[in-house]
Amino acid sequence: MEQVKVFLDEREIPTQWYNVLADVPTPMSPPLHPGTGQPVGPDDLAPVFPMNLIEQEVSTERWIDIPEEVLEKYLLWRPTPLYRARNFEKLLDAPVKIYYKNEGVSPPGSHKPNTAVAQAYYNKVFGVKRLSTETGAGQWGSALSMACKMFGLECRVFMVKVSYEQKPFRGLMMNVWGANCIPSPSDKTEAGRRILAEHPDSPGSLGIAISEAIEDAVSDKDARYSLGSVLNHVLLHQTINGLETQKQLEKIGVYPDVVMGCTGGGSNFAGLCLPFVRDKIHGKEISIVAAEPTSCPTMTRGPFAYDFGDTAQTTPLLAMHTLGHDFVPAPIHAGGLRYHGMAPIVSHLVKEQIIEARAYNQIQTFEAGIKWAHTEGFISAPETNHAIAAVVQEAERAKEEGKEKVILFNWSGHGLVDLAAYDAYLSGKLTQYEMPEEEISRALKSIEGFPKP
Amino acid sequence: MYDDLEIRCPKLGGEVTFSYCQSEEGDSPCPRIIACWQPHIPVESYLKRVLTAAQWDRCFNQKPKDKVTTLIELIEEAKKRVKPA
Ligand SMILES: Cc1ncc(COP(=O)(O)O)c(C=O)c1O
Repeated sequence: MEQVKVFLDEREIPTQWYNVLADVPTPMSPPLHPGTGQPVGPDDLAPVFPMNLIEQEVSTERWIDIPEEVLEKYLLWRPTPLYRARNFEKLLDAPVKIYYKNEGVSPPGSHKPNTAVAQAYYNKVFGVKRLSTETGAGQWGSALSMACKMFGLECRVFMVKVSYEQKPFRGLMMNVWGANCIPSPSDKTEAGRRILAEHPDSPGSLGIAISEAIEDAVSDKDARYSLGSVLNHVLLHQTINGLETQKQLEKIGVYPDVVMGCTGGGSNFAGLCLPFVRDKIHGKEISIVAAEPTSCPTMTRGPFAYDFGDTAQTTPLLAMHTLGHDFVPAPIHAGGLRYHGMAPIVSHLVKEQIIEARAYNQIQTFEAGIKWAHTEGFISAPETNHAIAAVVQEAERAKEEGKEKVILFNWSGHGLVDLAAYDAYLSGKLTQYEMPEEEISRALKSIEGFPKP
Repeated sequence: MYDDLEIRCPKLGGEVTFSYCQSEEGDSPCPRIIACWQPHIPVESYLKRVLTAAQWDRCFNQKPKDKVTTLIELIEEAKKRVKPA
């Protein structure tokens, strides 16, 4: 019988994270302070992040040691197994070998604890007593709750009220891990109280929840804020995954032709892919593909262009993937799961054509996820289904081209607390959506005439 | 008239009603409302009827910001709320 899973011994767990900022061929443009137009400095972030994490945010050291205490917690579920998806391969009947890294085996069921545990540790070491964060569906909130308990920190999670009421299970998980999961808007912050005074029945939003979480951190000297995606240090912590995978592949003498992952804020994708990005920068031939939703096709249909960084058009132009300001969600939504602009590192790599992005509609993604469940058994998170849809498409291409390919992807989480989404799919409530070309052209009119990066 | 229709919100990861999408930003709709709802209902023409020009502008004519810039703005707003000037 051929091998299905590749394990690493616990002693083989990587002991350093990989920082791609040491290897990117061209420097990334720094974010600019909205008030001064100057590059953002550590002091700007100090009210909400501990300085040891801010240092990691700006570090260009290639390898950063993983503290012993973090490794010890990682060992509860890491190294995660690398699987060969033989049954799915059979179903697709294409000349491909498909490997996937199973990040759904962590206690909260996704890749999120890779950074949650590290962030809780650095906050603890810095003397912080409590972390606050916002969460939509609850994946991130539950990962951080577990991590805080492990390091003896208090944890306060502002969960968008409409999700809190509709999805009680993630909130309950947070409670089991000892966190305080608060439906937002709440009376715990001035931001929440103002909303409640005007709209007592407000169902909340990610924008309100992030405002509450940040205010909560700013108003208590012993508290800090924690974010589960997008930022450089978050992507750094996730690289444990790609580094493990490289060791596992080495054991079986395999190197992938294509590496894929879904992208919300970019962290799980970066975690698997950045070590392969390093190989590519140093000459390996490999395609690296980010799968995004067609309903927010930032990287696939938005150009990398200069656009203003603020509404008043006073800050310098920023180079970014954008759909133009007519399309892009309001800035406050940047706190959400579907950030319009993608992690700066991921955007930069797309611009440099080191990685590419492809978009998938939700029907395609659930079809792929159902096929996966039928063959591999595991029920994937709806986000993860985007990566599976990308794998299906890549296998179809390989078949058309008659080319053999090894595909590797990140199975970022299970969908066991997301079964309502499967219910919606199975009962025909989901539809396919592609942004019409006119809508994109209309949106992009707003940046016509701007200089090209 | 569409208020009770439901859709899966790609930001929250759960089902929400059209009325939620219309008031997600407090008084104004979620900026993704057109992208999410146009395949089901003529939402753009509907919103053009019900929103004022200022509301439309606030919702659909925003400039993109990178995450760190947004964070810093939120930090500054929070500081003002905590210590009113
Ligand atoms: C299982 C899973 N995969 C992927 C994502 C997308 O986020 P990111 O791109 O930061 O990994 C999420 C976000 O909640 C998630 O829960």
